[in-house]
Formats: sequence, structure tokens, C-alpha cells
Amino acid sequence: MIKKLLVSPFGWVIGLLLSLTICIAALFLGSIDAHSLLNSDIGHNILWNIRMPRVLLAFVVGASLSLAGVMIQSNVRNPLADPSLIGVSAGAALGAALIIVAAELLQVNAQYYIPLAAFVGGVLATVAVLKLGRSDLPGGMALLILAGIAINVVAASLIGLLTYLATDSALRHITFWSLGSLASANYFWVVLCSIALLIVCMWLPRQHRKLDAILLGQAEANTMGVDVKRLQKHSIVLVALLAALAVSACGIIGFIGLVTPHIGRMLVGASHRYLLPLTFILGGTLLVIADGIARTIIAPAELPIGIVTALLGAPVFIWLLVREGRRLQW
Amino acid sequence: MVMTLKQLNFSRNGKRVLDSISGELRSGKIIALLGPNGAGKSTLIQAMAGLLSCAGAVSLKGQEIEHYCAETLAQNLAYLPQHSQLQFPLTVEEILSLATLPFQLTRLEQRQQINALIKTWGIEALAQKDFRQLSGGEQQRCHIARTFLQLQNMKPTNSGRGIWLLDEPSSSLDLEHQQQLQRVCLQAAKEGHCVVIVLHDLNQALRLADEVWLLKEGKLVAQGPTKEVITESLISDVFNVQAKKIIDGDDCIFIYNSH
Repeated sequence: MIKKLLVSPFGWVIGLLLSLTICIAALFLGSIDAHSLLNSDIGHNILWNIRMPRVLLAFVVGASLSLAGVMIQSNVRNPLADPSLIGVSAGAALGAALIIVAAELLQVNAQYYIPLAAFVGGVLATVAVLKLGRSDLPGGMALLILAGIAINVVAASLIGLLTYLATDSALRHITFWSLGSLASANYFWVVLCSIALLIVCMWLPRQHRKLDAILLGQAEANTMGVDVKRLQKHSIVLVALLAALAVSACGIIGFIGLVTPHIGRMLVGASHRYLLPLTFILGGTLLVIADGIARTIIAPAELPIGIVTALLGAPVFIWLLVREGRRLQW
Repeated sequence: MVMTLKQLNFSRNGKRVLDSISGELRSGKIIALLGPNGAGKSTLIQAMAGLLSCAGAVSLKGQEIEHYCAETLAQNLAYLPQHSQLQFPLTVEEILSLATLPFQLTRLEQRQQINALIKTWGIEALAQKDFRQLSGGEQQRCHIARTFLQLQNMKPTNSGRGIWLLDEPSSSLDLEHQQQLQRVCLQAAKEGHCVVIVLHDLNQALRLADEVWLLKEGKLVAQGPTKEVITESLISDVFNVQAKKIIDGDDCIFIYNSH
């Protein structure tokens, strides 16, 4: 019933309007009221140069991480996969941290290499985790999560090691990464993350039935005409791209990539034709809300957004573990 | 000849699973793969589906199977694996609609095919249900129907039509649906497809199959027309079971002794 309504054109219009309303409300959320935002030069400046890029970045990053979550969950047929849980985000953060520390030591400006390093780190971590936790083996569901823990530990300890080599300013930079924050949002990152998201959004519509087929199993998908290896390879690169840019822009934001696809599946089922667009809108909106909470709940100070998403997402993850564990009898 | 197998060899963990298997699949025939547990039936059917890289050659319509891209392969053979597990909430209808994936069909044609399939298979009541909530037998029927639709979309060529590979399709089916499975196998063969089916019930093989391939420890111990291959002495050799043949007109049936 809910599904029928949601996948109708009417449902999409309502969803989009709701999402838009939340984003506009988030623009006016904060210590300065709407009246002064709209009627003074300072207000304009705050609205267009601080709040606007921040809300846009929150939406784009939320959508990116959520789509990355769907893609990785479907490809490994594991509902517990998430870019931050399986170490993709940590790999990206490690890549970024390496460049930050190296640049500080060598006294060069390497700001623009950070996303590239994050991307390479993200790809390496994804490949490693998929090799270690092959999900087609018996027990592969648990194996993948264990492999993710291993990759997370390795990345975290190497980042820890780097903090000893880092100067004070690099240290702040790295800390910012491990908790996640949208405080330094600007249009540069909005554009960069949007480009990655656009590439993925152009690629995905032709893949939605293939992703459905993979859910049935690799052998099934192969004999239904899906080149599974190729699809997985492309997916890994795109997941790493999305996660790496999201991490470069605002650090590790956990659980959004895990929770959004699940809410989406509860609403419209697992068919990617509906799940992908819904995840896009839902993920973006959820991160805008989380950021709204992060910057107002202890105002005038601000919580790192990674803490907010973890506090909201971790209980959902535990619930999923219990539910999936019962069904699969690990 | 729609498929030929030449000297297939395959080892897993140092154990020979397939040992110099050769054979031919012909259009319009039903072939039953028989043998005790662990004889290599599933592995052989995976090799036919192009899912296994093993020594020897599998050629489909005159071309080596490795040279096919996934899509063309799916336009020539449909495969039903033995076990399949779904972790995500897809509906039966969404799963059935995947059968048309390898073919260039319009949205409308797809819709019509799926609706017709649901109707002829009598699964109207299941169509909108979450696949994971179905019983084992219902899930199996749904997968059989899906691969059957894929098969029906295959075009006839000079060297034959499609191949339907069924790995123990009847294991969780009730009597009525075992009969239905038999009917669709016969229909598929009549429409020019070759059906390869892994069975455990020798009597079902007798009723259904034109040809039997009997496997034991990775070797083909017998291969030929069903009634010639399945004999009392062979059953006792391969399955370690005493059986008695009862003949009734053209039909015959085996009764097993418990000791």
C-alpha cells in the first residue's frame, strides 16, 4: 500500500517537495533569524556563502554515501555493508592524511591532491576488503564485516601513527577527518562532489535491473546475462569515488550509507528501479537534518556530524545485526 | 547439436570432481543427470552453464563457451541452481521480470509476458509477496517459472534453440507441482529446447528423460537411452540399493528394497 503510493508520480512529487522544504528550513536554522538573513548585507553573506554551500554539501554528501551504500550492499549481497563500516572511508581518510602530513613536512601546498589520495586509498581499501571477505563463500556475510573491521583497524592505526609525525595544524586537519564535519563547506567541494554524484547518476539508470539480478546470486546473475565481474569492478570504482570525495570534503560520516538504503527498502522494496532514486533523495535529506541537529543542539558550539549520525545510526545497525543474524543463523 | 562436451576434467581441493566427461546435448531431448550425492552432477551442470573454468572444451552451437559474453550466453541457456538465498525484499513479480533481462523487449512486451507467466503458472496469489516469505517449494516454483520464461524468449537457430539446465528442481516440490514440472519440461523439449535435469527419483527419470547420464565419483559410468541404461544391476552398483523392475505395458517402474 505504502509502496504503491510512494512509487506513483504523486508520491515522488510529495517526496521531492518534502525534501525541498526541509532543505530550505535548514537554510534558516541557526542563531540569526530569517528576517536579518534576508534584509542585511551580512545576512546575505551568511546565507549565500556559509549556509547555502553547507546545506548543498550536506545533501550531496548524504546522497553520495547512501548511493554508495546501496551499490556496495547489492554487489556483495550483504545488507550490512556500508562504506564506513567496511573500511572504504577509513582507507580514503588514510590516503588524505598521508598527503596532509607529507605536505606539511615538505612545506608544499597539496590541497588539491587530497581528494586524489583519498580516492586511491578508498579503492585500495575496497579491493582489499572484497578480497578478504568474499561474500560468495559460506559465512561470507560475517567474513566481509570482519574484513572491514581489520581494514578499519589498520587504517586507524596508521592514521594514529601519522598524528605523531604531524604538526599542530595538520593534526587538527586529521582529527577533523576522523569525526566528520560540514563546518568548512564551500562551493569548491559542492561542485566536486556533485560531479562525482552526476557521473554515478548517469551510470546507474542502465544498471538497475542488473543490480536486481545480482541480488539473486552471482551464478544466477551470470546466467541472466549480467557480466557480474565487470559490474562489480565498475561499482567498486564508483563507490570509492563517491566515498573518497565525501571523505575529502567533510571527513568520515558513518552509518548514513547503511541506514538510508534500509529505510528505502522498507518503503519500496529492494528493486533498484525505485530504491536508487529514493535513496538519493532520502540520503540527502537525512544528512541535511543530521547537520541541522549537529549545529544547533549545543549552540553556539557545534557537534561533529559524524557523532550525530553514529548516535542515530548505531542503534539501527545493532537492530539490523540482531535481525539479520537471526534470519541467517550465523 | 546444441552443445558438445569434450574431455572435461575438474578438481576441487585435490579431489577429481569431473573425470574425462564427454557428451552431446541435442535439441528437443530431455537428459537426466543421475548419480549418488557427490558424484559431480551439480559441477557438471555448472560447467554446461559456463560458470566453471575446467580443463577440456564446452562448445555451445559450435563456439567455445568461454567466447560468449554473458548476454549472448543468457540468450542461449537458462540455469536453475540448486540453492539460492535472497537477503533483500524483492517481490515474486520483480524476480520473474528479470527473465527478460537478456532480451531486447519493450516495457509492454515484458509486462504481457510476465502477466501471462503468472497466470499459466497459477501464482497470482504470490506475485506481490516478498520472495523471502514464501515456502521452499513456492520459491522453487518461482525460480523454475523465471528460467522457463527466459527459455521461451530464446530464438531457434540452425544448430538448435535453447538449453534449460535444472539442478534438482523437484527436490522441494509437492506431487502436483512435480507433475507440472514434468509437463513444462516436455513442452520445452517439444518446442525445440534441450533440457538437462538433475534428478534423484529414477522413476521420474524413466517417465521424463530421453537419455540418462549416470555419474559416479566424477566419471560417466553409463550414458544412453533411459530404458537401456537404468537396470536393476546398475542401480545396485551405483546407488548401492536393491531394486526390482515392474513392467506395466510400455511403462516400467522400480521398487526399492530397504535392505
